[in-house]
Amino acid sequence: MNENHNASTTSQGGWRVWFRAESVLLLLLVLEIGVFSKTGTNFWTRENFFEVLRLSVEMGLLAVAMTPVILTGGIDLSVGSLLGLCAICFGKLWRDAGLSPFAAAFATIGLGLMAGALNGALVTRLRLPPLIVTLGSFSLFRGFAEAITKGVDNFTNFPPSFLFLGQGYIFGVIPAQLPCFVAVAVSFWVLVHRTVIGRELRVLGTSPEGAVYAGLPASSRIQLVYVLSGGVAALSALVYVAHLGQAKADAGTGYELLAITAVVLGGTSICGGKGSVHGTLLGLAVLAVMKNGLTLSDLPGELGGILTGVLLLTVLSGELFMRFLSRRIRLRNRARLA
Amino acid sequence: MAAPDFFKPRQLLALGTATAPVLVAAMGVTMIILCRQIDISIGSQFALCSVFIGLAAQKGGGPLELVALAMGVGGVMGAVNGVLVAGVGLPSIVVTLATMATWRESLRWWREGEFVRNLPETFQWFGASQMTGQWLVITAGIMVLGCMVMITQFTAGGRFMYAVGSDPEAARLAGIRPMWVTFSVFVSAGALTGLAAVLNAVRFTDVDPKTGTGLEMQAIAAAVVGGVSVAGGRGRVLGVFAGVLLLACVGPGLVFLNLPAQWERAIQGGIILLAVASDGLGGGRPRRLREQHEEKKRR
Repeated sequence: MNENHNASTTSQGGWRVWFRAESVLLLLLVLEIGVFSKTGTNFWTRENFFEVLRLSVEMGLLAVAMTPVILTGGIDLSVGSLLGLCAICFGKLWRDAGLSPFAAAFATIGLGLMAGALNGALVTRLRLPPLIVTLGSFSLFRGFAEAITKGVDNFTNFPPSFLFLGQGYIFGVIPAQLPCFVAVAVSFWVLVHRTVIGRELRVLGTSPEGAVYAGLPASSRIQLVYVLSGGVAALSALVYVAHLGQAKADAGTGYELLAITAVVLGGTSICGGKGSVHGTLLGLAVLAVMKNGLTLSDLPGELGGILTGVLLLTVLSGELFMRFLSRRIRLRNRARLA
Repeated sequence: MAAPDFFKPRQLLALGTATAPVLVAAMGVTMIILCRQIDISIGSQFALCSVFIGLAAQKGGGPLELVALAMGVGGVMGAVNGVLVAGVGLPSIVVTLATMATWRESLRWWREGEFVRNLPETFQWFGASQMTGQWLVITAGIMVLGCMVMITQFTAGGRFMYAVGSDPEAARLAGIRPMWVTFSVFVSAGALTGLAAVLNAVRFTDVDPKTGTGLEMQAIAAAVVGGVSVAGGRGRVLGVFAGVLLLACVGPGLVFLNLPAQWERAIQGGIILLAVASDGLGGGRPRRLREQHEEKKRR
């Protein structure tokens, strides 16, 4: 799982830029929109546009927070389970402990941050592989959610003021959860692309040892990404509960894999060191539009899953092939110069 | 254990029968992890194989044919992973993530969640009585375990796996072809998953197309609890056996102690974290000592 770290494609410019994952995805997105506007009923409407956005917020939050984790060469398999646990805890705190939705939401985010800190501590202090740590907490968090609800409890009847967050519209058109998602996405973009911390995360993913020798605070940076991932998973849980109006122990099952799919499709290398938040957003958009478009075109939803898998493999193989090609060309140019 | 009923032969037999498929699947995953790869598609492979053997049994396939078919189908799916990982050179976690989604959704599209029913009498327990059938399943599981121990510890193939897992480049220089080793490991893991599907399917009278969801996590967890390092090249098959048993005992154990069964997942997760944490803590000190030692030598 540890080959081919990035040969700096960004600095080269020229035609090679067009073969980066982002541009391929943009092309795909345009293609999808073109096809589905023809085949789908009501695809090309303002309402549907916002509906697609609304449906992709929970997943989008997870994927955006997953991006820095994968940038450092780590992975977080526990976010789906944590979403379930946080949803349950929110319901429990609100209904059984009698807290106001606002206080309960606050406590839930705290829980998410703590759960993320647990992952981070195991990864940094004990130097365990993130895949294994989060596999363990994947079971642990879901297990707690099942244990708290005894597998049957279901929280519903939330107050309308809370449900507005997931079901309401601002100015009558914009889904209420969208500003929250935009805020999170922008903050992560700034963190990853415009701060020193973001650059340190890349370095950690490219060469962990080099980062330590360069004097980077490796442990605290890695801790940070897992804590953020946990906190955002909790936020995503709140949006999820407000959107569906109920909280069950199986909330968010399989979301971790979908989030990882969006991140990897967006051109982030699973080995770390290379990737972008806007790439993740594009990957997310491609997946969300495909799902929505297939439904509106009366095509089976399973096709979406199959296409996701095929797309993932094609985009990655394509990228690998392009890198191979560009290296060949570079070598030939060098030979001609010499 | 505080509950004597737990050790009644009938209980142990049922537990063993339910665990055998997981054990066989975990054996395949162990090989893959030893080669420093990972496979999260086996749950989907398992489901697809189960449905295939269900359909073949309807057409009147005998037990041996079913096993051959399942292992063949599993092997082909493993080969797809193997080509993409070893041949094309994509990271295994992404490849198997993609194939996981693809197989699972293709199956749903094809069968539309329908159970395979109306299986012949001879399907359940291979047509034998329940007792014999259970023993057959357990024996098959133990046999696979035995073969695996032999292969990993006493054959060249096993040593190739460890070599590729510890350092593919060094293995290449030593005359091993890492590409072929990785590819064949994926194929055999697929075949083992197929076998596991047979061992699981014969326990029931119909085939559920949703079967095997989460099997990949179970198998990986068992391997990790059993001491296999995800960095590759380290771990023993017998350790994985212990890991499978440990995780499998949690659920029934809770029932017999009259505790709520919903804690099963949480306790399993706790065991995984404890196992790897103790590995990290225990391994930490010798590692630090060794580093200090080397530091001194350098001076």
